[in-house]
Amino acid sequence: MKKTNIDEINRNIYDIKNKDIYDYKSKKGLTKEIIEEISKQKSDPDWMREFRLKALETYNKLELPTWGPDISELNMNDISIYVRPKSKLNNSWEDVPDDIKKTFDNLGIPEAEKKSLAGVGAQYDSEVVYHSMKEDLIKQGVIYTDMETAVKEYPDIVKKYFMKCVPVYDHKFVALHGAVWSGGSFVYVPKGVKVDIPLQSYFRLNSPESGQFEHTLIIVDEGASLHFIEGCSAPKYNKVNLHAGCVELYVKENAYLRYSTIENWSKNMLNLNTKKAIVEKNGQIDWVTGSFGSKISMLYPMSILNGEGSKTEFTGISFAGKGQNLDNGFKVVHNAPNTSSVVNAKSISKNGGKCTYRSLVRINEDAKNSKSSVSCESLMLDDISISDTIPTNDIRNDEVEFSHEAKIGKISDKTIFYLMSRGLSEEDAKAMIVRGFAYPISKELPVEYAVEMNNLINLELEGAIG
Amino acid sequence: MEILKLNETPVRTSRNFNINNIKLENVKIPEVVKNFTNVKIKNETDKIKIDSNLDELFLNYGVGNIFVEQVKKIANKKLKITIDTKIKKEVFIDFTLDEENNNLIDNIEIIANENSKATIYLKYESKISAFHNGVLKVIAKENSNIDVVIVNLLSSSTNNFLSVENEILDNAKVNFVIVDFGGNASITNLYSNIIGNEAENNINTIYLGKDNQLKDINYICDLKGKKSNVNIEVQGALKDSAKKHFKGTIDFKRGCKKSKGNENEFCMLLSDKAKSLALPMLLCSEEDVEGNHSSSAGKIGEKQLFYIMSRGFELKEAMKLIVRANFNNIIETIKNDEIKNRILYEIDTILD
Repeated sequence: MKKTNIDEINRNIYDIKNKDIYDYKSKKGLTKEIIEEISKQKSDPDWMREFRLKALETYNKLELPTWGPDISELNMNDISIYVRPKSKLNNSWEDVPDDIKKTFDNLGIPEAEKKSLAGVGAQYDSEVVYHSMKEDLIKQGVIYTDMETAVKEYPDIVKKYFMKCVPVYDHKFVALHGAVWSGGSFVYVPKGVKVDIPLQSYFRLNSPESGQFEHTLIIVDEGASLHFIEGCSAPKYNKVNLHAGCVELYVKENAYLRYSTIENWSKNMLNLNTKKAIVEKNGQIDWVTGSFGSKISMLYPMSILNGEGSKTEFTGISFAGKGQNLDNGFKVVHNAPNTSSVVNAKSISKNGGKCTYRSLVRINEDAKNSKSSVSCESLMLDDISISDTIPTNDIRNDEVEFSHEAKIGKISDKTIFYLMSRGLSEEDAKAMIVRGFAYPISKELPVEYAVEMNNLINLELEGAIG
Repeated sequence: MEILKLNETPVRTSRNFNINNIKLENVKIPEVVKNFTNVKIKNETDKIKIDSNLDELFLNYGVGNIFVEQVKKIANKKLKITIDTKIKKEVFIDFTLDEENNNLIDNIEIIANENSKATIYLKYESKISAFHNGVLKVIAKENSNIDVVIVNLLSSSTNNFLSVENEILDNAKVNFVIVDFGGNASITNLYSNIIGNEAENNINTIYLGKDNQLKDINYICDLKGKKSNVNIEVQGALKDSAKKHFKGTIDFKRGCKKSKGNENEFCMLLSDKAKSLALPMLLCSEEDVEGNHSSSAGKIGEKQLFYIMSRGFELKEAMKLIVRANFNNIIETIKNDEIKNRILYEIDTILD
């Protein structure tokens, strides 16, 4: 069959750059002095300043990962770790400066807020520039604010939970995050409150040679429920940008949290993000993830099932094109009886892109009568791409049902032939097959995102396979 | 005492997953060994040439450098087995480790020349506390077909290290059956270099672990030839505090068009202290291939047990039956009844 290739994908709205205008941009590099200066700029309380400095010490002690993609091109001396935009935190889009507002308009955030969201947070470079939530949720006691405000206004809660789920010694980039974090969202859903419409935070990095280190802390209290959506993007620059965010989720007894992410960072981004959830008795955390952007991604959301009867589901797709190395996956640790996990991961590689599914399922000694079922499928769209599956299954008691299965392959010629015999062009047939492959994931996404994902697949596949 | 890091995976994953290698402490590695004399070769025929003129040893992987070097320097049993034709008779090579021969460091090379065919059994057995470190290389030339059955019945106080490598050329086929029942720590590394077009490698393994036995199994299969195939089937059961680490890698190298790789691993846990760790990897740089793996673990189904017990069997007997049934597909690939019966007897004894 005829092969055609395109060099670079037109990322249209995501690649619109604003001028690098800022209120404050830290010197490049990572030193104690720079951390102290950032802490001063952010008016941190003393405990947070000390926390940052200790995290920096840990960062300096820890090694880079000895596995996964090569991240040797990352040089912290080339990166500004804090860029404060020329905007304060607003709760009306009218007050957001024009160029920044236009960016979020292009991304469709204010529109989505009106149509289908209960609250929105928008971060531009290192600070949140807009935060708002529907009145009825405020009345029910739901807190949705930026992390800096939470540190100042809810210090007891923040001290109790901040970087306890993901401790700074977890790995080098978590320690980095602990030292330089800025922005992000804080959500508290009180006992029994069901938030029916999703909340969404959108993270946009505009400044070149900089990093984004937002911290998301969500506590869903007993019997409560929430759907939280996270979106991220950046325009492409020639030098690397770094994203080392951290997401900490606490799902209490009988609570439910769905955490959806569409990651569409630019292809000069190193995405070294950390996400973890602790789930208590009969609680449930569901992760839905679409990973399309980044030059290198190392992202393995983790569920720790501490409570009896707690559950988790992971549904994720990665799509790696030219120059991309997406090393993604999922980790789950079953620590209590009657816990369950279901994993459905898919990946598509094309134009020399590399997708790796890397995972851990650990069922510990006490997790009697636990179940885990893992399925991963990889699709190769040409013979220059790479797709690896590296799952670790660690079973430490006999009262379990555990199964893992994985498949790697290409689009079947017979299926293409069948669709073409029904009048579809070859490219349409292939796009339909890929959309079908991604469907189990896209159906789990909010409608707007599912549409966006399908558009991305069309965009990425246009003229690219054969 | 030095901590040995052995059986490294070809691709590393997070250190926290404890699977990139196996760490062993207090392993006594003999520095000087006597000639090993207790080896019996049965059904020797003039159609097979057996001598000890081996070329200098080179391995791509192996259990660990220290063990490969030991074989290079002080192997006390060397066998080069050359097969030139199709041989119906099965050849048996039995190593019995005893008081006089308590250290076996063997270097075996099997060369199956073009169009040849043979079945070779290698059995390792001991009742005493002993040490085994072996290397087995199999070279299957064009159109050859070689079956190798490796049976480990070493005592549970014997450490067992085995490095296997094979090279399979066009249209050749190598079938391994590995029965891994013995050893205190039993560490096996198998690298399969499937170079030839339409070459095939089948690796069927059964293992049993009891007490504090450790099984560390690391299979690495590179598919390079077009329309080549690899099938890995691993069935095991663990009782008491036994532990098993299974690392299986199928690597579809660029150019191995229309190749297939399947890997299936199942671990029956017969005790709440037994532990199963598995890393079934699929690495793929070629589009036009089919790769599948599945891995599962769990205890014997209560319904299955109930059914068998309702037919008058005691629990232990019912468990034995189920384990034997799960192993049956692999045991049935062994043609020799004596070996087959011996394996069934060992299953009964270990699960008693």
